[in-house]
Amino acid sequence: MSELFEPKIIAFVCTYCTYAGADLAGTSRLKYAPNVRIIRLPCTGRISPMFILKALQKGADGVLVSGCHPGDCHFTHGNYHARRRWMVFRSLLDFMGIQPERVIFSWISAAEGGKFADLINTVTEDIRKLGPFDQYKELIRETEAPATL
Amino acid sequence: MITQEKYRSKAKKLLAEGSVKMVIGYSPGSTPDRRRPVFIRSFDEADQLVLDSNCIANLSGYLVSEGLLSDEKHVAIFLRPDGIRSINILAAESQLNVDQIIIFGFDTNGNEVRALTGEHAGEFSEFIGSIKEHPPEKSRDPLLYQIEQMNPQERFAFWKDEFSRCIKCYACRQACPMCYCRRCIVDSNQPQWINTSSHTLGNFEWNVVRAFHLAGRCVGCGNCDRACPVNIPLRLINSRMAEEVLDSFDHFAGLNPAQEPVLASFKKDDSETFIL
Repeated sequence: MSELFEPKIIAFVCTYCTYAGADLAGTSRLKYAPNVRIIRLPCTGRISPMFILKALQKGADGVLVSGCHPGDCHFTHGNYHARRRWMVFRSLLDFMGIQPERVIFSWISAAEGGKFADLINTVTEDIRKLGPFDQYKELIRETEAPATL
Repeated sequence: MITQEKYRSKAKKLLAEGSVKMVIGYSPGSTPDRRRPVFIRSFDEADQLVLDSNCIANLSGYLVSEGLLSDEKHVAIFLRPDGIRSINILAAESQLNVDQIIIFGFDTNGNEVRALTGEHAGEFSEFIGSIKEHPPEKSRDPLLYQIEQMNPQERFAFWKDEFSRCIKCYACRQACPMCYCRRCIVDSNQPQWINTSSHTLGNFEWNVVRAFHLAGRCVGCGNCDRACPVNIPLRLINSRMAEEVLDSFDHFAGLNPAQEPVLASFKKDDSETFIL
């Protein structure tokens, strides 16, 4: 039997909501898939599309972006700006042939530890089904310096 | 020809009375069907100006050349409707003061050239609004439909193939009136977001990022597409992005000099169907 594919997923999260939500999931002893590497940022408005591309460029199979619900932003409207940016960036990625299922966006508040754990589990399962991002990894392999994560 | 004469004499008059310091226009190029940008500083040079259906380049990028407008003198420039839209975007992004720009507006239909009425960017707002409402009959690029029919793997392969030819000459960036950043993201090396070698991996990111930076700003003048030495169909990506911002946010780039940039503004009820 072949080994189960373990996807590498990078999560860009805002420190005020989703990171606190992840903390809550941890302190509540909720179990979730260990495939996600979390990168904490001040706000979803700080998440440049470059981060997402860089994650893929370094061999991620999926990217998760998450922050405060609309109206809850610590900086009042960082997530509103982020939302517009994602809308455009998502359709751009789709047009370039990167499946939208690989780049997931969500709102998770500091009180939603359960939602965080569930989301990580479903996202991991979904990306496991999609398989490794071979097309991109082929490009990475072709470059001289092998990418490491 | 009549339009050409009209604008030549207007250029002469403005230069002679000193109300503009320069006229940016077109002169004959290296072959009969090409036109070269020309920068006219005195009225006796104005006879070099040519205006016909071969004048297709968007000249507005020259206006943001360092120091050109900093003396607050006026500059006249030949612009098509897309060029006027570029000026509006540059003004909205605080890159220039539209009051300093005298527009010699023209449009072409086949071989016919007609002058557009108006002199300052604000006077064209209604005209540009009508382009938004009634886009020209030019059909959507058939390649766009083809790409949309593909599945993600095929699309990725299509672009991989296109970008594998990219030599990272950055001609697209140099030709684009919207690419005025003093330091482009691709020139930044700490952190280095994009590989500098012209390998498909870095090429992919470069072209995606440029398209993203142009989303809601590109007017589809085609400067990048014509400048590309390896004929990557850059217009496809940019026009797809223009469709996206029009559909999602009802944003038509360059309507007027006071238009808010689409990605620097938001509405509380923006669509978010894709967010879990």
